[in-house]
Amino acid sequence: MKTIQVFDPALCCSTGVCGVDVDQALVSFAADVDWAKQHGAQIERFNLAQQPLAFAENAVVKGFLERTGAEGLPLVLVDGEFALAGRYPNRTELARWAGINAVLIEMKAATGGCCGGSKCC
Amino acid sequence: MTTSNLQFLAQPPRFLFFTGKGGVGKTSIACATAIALAEAGQRVLLVSTDPASNVGQVFGLQIGNRITAVMAVPRLSALEIDPQAAAQAYRDRIVGPVRGVLPEGVVKGIEEQLSGACTTEIAAFDEFTALLVDSALTADYDHIIFDTAPTGHTIRLLQLPGAWTGFLDEGRGDASCLGPLAGLEKQRSQYKAAVDALADPLRTRLVLVARAQVSTLREAARTHEELAGIGLSRQYLIINGVLPGSEAAGDALAAAICQREAAAIAALPQGLSALPCDQLALKPFNLVGLDALRQLLSPLSLISAAPSARENAPIALQAPDLTTLVDGIAADGHGLVMLMGKGGVGKTTLAAAVAVELARRGLAVELSTSDPAANLVETLAETMTEAQQGALPNLTVSRIDPHAETERYRQHVLDTKGAQLDATGRALLEEDLRSPCTEEIAVFQAFSRIIRAAGKKFVVMDTAPTGHTLLLLDATGAYHREVARQMGSSGHYLTPMMQLQDPLQTKVLVVTLAETTPVLEAASLQADLRRAGIEPWAWVINNSVAAAQPHSPLLRQRARNELAEIDVVKTHHATRYAVVPLLKSEPVGIERLLELAGHSTERN
Repeated sequence: MKTIQVFDPALCCSTGVCGVDVDQALVSFAADVDWAKQHGAQIERFNLAQQPLAFAENAVVKGFLERTGAEGLPLVLVDGEFALAGRYPNRTELARWAGINAVLIEMKAATGGCCGGSKCC
Repeated sequence: MTTSNLQFLAQPPRFLFFTGKGGVGKTSIACATAIALAEAGQRVLLVSTDPASNVGQVFGLQIGNRITAVMAVPRLSALEIDPQAAAQAYRDRIVGPVRGVLPEGVVKGIEEQLSGACTTEIAAFDEFTALLVDSALTADYDHIIFDTAPTGHTIRLLQLPGAWTGFLDEGRGDASCLGPLAGLEKQRSQYKAAVDALADPLRTRLVLVARAQVSTLREAARTHEELAGIGLSRQYLIINGVLPGSEAAGDALAAAICQREAAAIAALPQGLSALPCDQLALKPFNLVGLDALRQLLSPLSLISAAPSARENAPIALQAPDLTTLVDGIAADGHGLVMLMGKGGVGKTTLAAAVAVELARRGLAVELSTSDPAANLVETLAETMTEAQQGALPNLTVSRIDPHAETERYRQHVLDTKGAQLDATGRALLEEDLRSPCTEEIAVFQAFSRIIRAAGKKFVVMDTAPTGHTLLLLDATGAYHREVARQMGSSGHYLTPMMQLQDPLQTKVLVVTLAETTPVLEAASLQADLRRAGIEPWAWVINNSVAAAQPHSPLLRQRARNELAEIDVVKTHHATRYAVVPLLKSEPVGIERLLELAGHSTERN
């Protein structure tokens, strides 16, 4: 199974609790990560404000920060290779990278109350 | 020493914590307590976190961040913890390894995240921890005395299991909003032992220190409730600096103070009235040196004001009044005026005084307040009534309820962000939402709606965001987005940060009292604003006894002590300043507010 690493921007007060508004993308992503982990995905998250060393020690991440600054985060690596930056992946992308069975995704979608039924988006 | 009748000193447990807002005399009382216990044969360790750090000065030696024996007092040792230095060390642990490795802008961003008041508090608690658990370090002492106490927020945070998962246990963070705990050094079991010791009434006594003033007593009542709620049930109350009744004779100001203090003590807030309470008299001398500290704990009745040789010398205070400052503000025709300072220094009253003074000149003014205190609402109520009656038709008053704003904000976050969290995560989020920043942000959001009016008229507010909050909000761009959303797509807009940085549009007045600790606290607020590129326009020293020219010997002594502090503000901190006198009567209504500003209308 592939390893997914998510390098978050500095998340202290700025994003959630103390921000002007709560970032809905973070909320959804936290739920998606939970879901993917339950299906066996290997996902690690690193917070710039708390584990800056993890950013400095990874050549890909360090190079990315040098080019774009912290504003370019989040950054997602799959097996150490660049996969996505500037936004959080959705559930489908996570599942694809992690190799989670497509049937499972559909099952989840069907019970998830989102686009349940046969006419799924 | 005659201290036997002081309740907080009776059968003291191992740990004694003195807590209260800056300037109430925590450190002096902690020192005096340490001396009293050591002289009674106990082995005592005194721990000070006072930024004024006068413990070393009191004992005439250098102490610093290591346990030092106090030669002048057998069996007494002392230790000073500098919370700012602790916070810096803590930041260095996290940021140090990546400095020079990651881009400078990124490193600065991380540092700002770790520059809030919470970080300082948690870093200081980190330093305490070793003293609260049994160890070789503390085995030699019967009592350990602290001149501060952790807040309920810090303790609750440390008690929550959710705060720890992913940090010390696994060494890996989740996308939680709990930055500060990440850099803690010690084992979770040690923090648990420390928190347990705090909550154990057999080991810990918490002494709330207050002055005989409605606002400080109300604050003490809040601290009492919060800490009692997490198990620190063994609490005592000290009302410090009470003006002896003997001073009232022949001095109208002293008589008014005595009356006000007696009224405040008679109407203690609920919760406090049930606590064992000691009153300590205002002293005619500076609390420096062993003899002075030994006398601090003498009971009220035994103090007689010792007349000093300089008693009749005039109090030489030549300082600008508030009217002079308002002249400078009025010159710009419109703009935002924000009063910033710690709780209880009188921001709301001064905001009202500035607003009334501007309105008196025929300028359009909106006074906006967030102070929930009842007597200040009265001030405004009376102001509003008079304004409506046509006394000052160009003055409007708006009020923001900080409690309601914060509650609305909390609920919004819990409903959105909290909706998908499990019980542990939700508990953590709820605690995060009880942090002091949350209220600041919620209130400031509400204010930012009013701020925009400052382009056309004067808007005077009794609060201001800290530099830390502004930087955090600005760094993420979240603020720009929010403003853009509110302004619609009209294109041209100014973010609050940009508006606050421009001295022509915004004037920040730092409010303080002419006492050591409040001045230091105000200076650190100023440093924080400067970090955000905002230069305070002026300082206002409120409730000055020196400016009131008292006759009572005790008040005259206090007035003389104030002069040194006023001088420090004038020469070190402020580009311009004003001194506002302590009034005989509460500044309620337009007439008295004008009097605060420097118009001599006080009726005798």
